[in-house]
Amino acid sequence: MTGQKQTQAASDGQSPEDGRSHDLQKALEQRTGLLHELDHRVKNNLQLISSLMLLQARHAHEPAVKTALEAMHERLNAIAVVHRGLFMTEDPGRFDIAAFVRDLAAELAGARPGVRIMLDLEPVAMRTGHAAALALLINELLINALRHAYPEGRQGEVRVKITRSGSEMRIGIADDGVGMANANQEQGFGLSIVDLLSRQLQARVAWEDAHPGVHVAVTLPVEAE
Amino acid sequence: MNAEHPLRVLIVEDEVLLANELEYLVETSGAKPVGHAMTSPEAITLARETRPDLALVDVHLADGPTGVDAAREMTEHCGAIVLFITANLRRLPDDLAGACGVMCKPYSENQIRQALDFIARCMREGRAEGQPPNGLILSDAFARLWRVHHAA
Ligand SMILES: Nc1ncnc2c1ncn2[C@@H]1O[C@H](COP(=O)(O)OP(=O)(O)O)[C@@H](O)[C@H]1O
Ligand SMILES: [Mg+2]
Repeated sequence: MTGQKQTQAASDGQSPEDGRSHDLQKALEQRTGLLHELDHRVKNNLQLISSLMLLQARHAHEPAVKTALEAMHERLNAIAVVHRGLFMTEDPGRFDIAAFVRDLAAELAGARPGVRIMLDLEPVAMRTGHAAALALLINELLINALRHAYPEGRQGEVRVKITRSGSEMRIGIADDGVGMANANQEQGFGLSIVDLLSRQLQARVAWEDAHPGVHVAVTLPVEAE
Repeated sequence: MNAEHPLRVLIVEDEVLLANELEYLVETSGAKPVGHAMTSPEAITLARETRPDLALVDVHLADGPTGVDAAREMTEHCGAIVLFITANLRRLPDDLAGACGVMCKPYSENQIRQALDFIARCMREGRAEGQPPNGLILSDAFARLWRVHHAA
């Protein structure tokens, strides 16, 4: 291939340098094409896994099995939202966590009629490698607020706020629901995921019983701009 | 969705599991699936026979990246409105081959339901009420037709 092109370039009256830069250009295009193909495959496969989980959830008879599958589907969905956002920004190595939260909130907005999700988001770019972990963490906290804070048709407002100061980002998730006082003391699977992920992200998770509701603040380091 | 005239929907997707899931979503949002095609010739034949209101079309089909041409054909000769559902945004031409819009994979079931609802309403009323739902990107032509004003 390469040899052929070089002869061709030479017979076009171009210098060897032109031929080389043409080859480099070609190689780069091929690389970009492969990357796009890979991106496409990943997105398609995420869609497949998501559909499989929903299919099995619908087939399940036991409520516990159904619930577990649906929760896993929600988690996968959070990762899928991350992937939807990748390659949309100019720098594929960076990821805007505010854009992610907007997309996720739009997704969850219809889930609980009577509960609004209010957003106050400063754009914060983080390393793409951390995106899935932070997305999963935010997903658990936001879904917990929607699921547990407003039993029996209670109404209210969940506020998600992202701010950045220096090398730290703060994500606040605040509901005005029933609070954690009567929660079963046992930590569920969701909160143990929050624990694990916060270790990975070097994040601090602070809980406050705010009467009314629960305020959670996640603080984590991000690289300076 | 209108119970008397449910939106008739053709699904063009080579992954059978995804097609199955879409069919379920179409049904449970009050629309009516009228068929499923995995290749572009199949899609065009089915579109001619069933005259769907809406065709959900993936770009990559069992016979290659033929979804775009199939979409154009179905739009121009089969009276269908096409909505692309694809992870292949880059393969779409600027005019979206005459399609009304595109949804990106990975989509969520919520997004599909809301998009179906929005499009059904636009087709019924001839214009949109408010902005398209999260995840639905309208083509310029259909944004004009349905009088959707681009949010700042
Ligand atoms: N925002 C909240 N408001 C009230 N209760 C909450 C809230 N978040 C979590 N909880 C309580 O903490 C428990 C543990 O949560 P989690 O570990 O995510 O498990 P799960 O959501 O599966 O029950 C929940 O069952 C609920 O009782
Ligand atoms: Mg939970």
